[in-house]
Amino acid sequence: MRVMEAEWGMLDAMVIDGVEVDENGPASDIAADLLVRTADGDQAAFAELYDMLSPRVFGLILRVLVNRSQSEEVLQEVFLEVWQSAGRFAPNKGQGRTWILTIAHRRAVDRVRASQSSTDRDIKAGFKDIGIAHDSVAEQVELSIEGEKVVAALTELPDAQREAIVLAYYGGYSQSEIAALLGTPLGTIKTRMRDGLSRLRHTLGVTA
Amino acid sequence: MTEEEFAELAAGHALHALSVDDEARYAAALLAHPEWQAIADDDQDAVAVLAAGAGSVAPPESIRANLMAQIAAMPQERSPEPDWAAFAPAPLGDDGAPLTEQRPRRRWGRALFALAACLVLIVGIGVGVSAITAQVNRPLSVVALDEVRAAEDVASASVQLDSGAEATAYWSGSLATAVLVTKGLEELDSSRTYELWVLRGDTPIPAGVFQSTGDEVAALLNEPMREGDVIAVTVEDAGGSPTGQPTSDPVIVIPTA
Repeated sequence: MRVMEAEWGMLDAMVIDGVEVDENGPASDIAADLLVRTADGDQAAFAELYDMLSPRVFGLILRVLVNRSQSEEVLQEVFLEVWQSAGRFAPNKGQGRTWILTIAHRRAVDRVRASQSSTDRDIKAGFKDIGIAHDSVAEQVELSIEGEKVVAALTELPDAQREAIVLAYYGGYSQSEIAALLGTPLGTIKTRMRDGLSRLRHTLGVTA
Repeated sequence: MTEEEFAELAAGHALHALSVDDEARYAAALLAHPEWQAIADDDQDAVAVLAAGAGSVAPPESIRANLMAQIAAMPQERSPEPDWAAFAPAPLGDDGAPLTEQRPRRRWGRALFALAACLVLIVGIGVGVSAITAQVNRPLSVVALDEVRAAEDVASASVQLDSGAEATAYWSGSLATAVLVTKGLEELDSSRTYELWVLRGDTPIPAGVFQSTGDEVAALLNEPMREGDVIAVTVEDAGGSPTGQPTSDPVIVIPTA
């Protein structure tokens, strides 16, 4: 698999290494601070949050939806939800970036299930599975160092586990759709997802 | 449910890949076992890291300007309402001592789980809604029902009770409104009432009372809906539970995830 060279901008360095990857202690969570200010109606903080995270959010949505104009709509929906419900974010319960990416993923998955038939998605997912990260979306995708680690960790998974996770997360498929798609019992898919995710957690050093 | 089974559900939930009824089992299990929250959090964190594998793509400039213009005129959700249950007199145990907060909730959680496991969720999201308006006898809730049904993001889910009664929840995230329509629910004598609850996380929030005529009845939840809420109904003394906490096992449970 081809992995694109990371291009380091100031933003990537700050967001990716500064916030989440630093294991030497509780790094300050910039996104969380901005969310707290956003909840108070601070539009400048919201703008900063958008500038910081929108490329990652858009990259994720585009990956799931593929369709560009739908992805642009969902991107707006996500940030409107962030604006409206920032008060619900609990800084003591998780990271700001995780909170936003979770909203983005849920909305992208909801949209893909509502708007694209599973036949359409079969074909796209087939392509997607070959190049885990981004080969099928050739335009301006930047893979950060962290992204490369994720791709490497996925590559190390047993094929069956990787397939289940990639189809679910990047393809937006439900467990029962994946079971049908692969002709595999649902229980097996569930187990593969759990085992794969647990293995990823160790490989990537995500700890509670 | 064993911890191992829960771990499977938690992984599927974090990946947004669960079916509607598995989502209900997940929510119920978490209510019954708050100690499993850590498993769910771990999975959520692991999945969030996967986002980086999708790479970054700069969105068109126009979206930023568009958003900034929209939020300038867009109200934000107020901070969460105060937890009224916390101010209610604490129920007393057999020994006369106040029960701890966890005991009623925990019992509720287990009951909910047992029930959710045996109920069959019939309908998924966004199915056609049949014309029930004419038979419904509660004007306010009917107005709300019409509004919810007209909303672009209307969704619904139904359960069938052992008694043969049916309950369907219609909700709209954009309106933050949910309406429960029951059909064939047993008519209660005047000393008792059905009470609606919104389960948010492990906290039941009272959402109004209603009576059933045994026929088709719509009831509007007076607590604004949020993502992931579970709608539940218990039988309480007339006027609703005085403690702000359910005092009996739920007869209806509908997840809105």
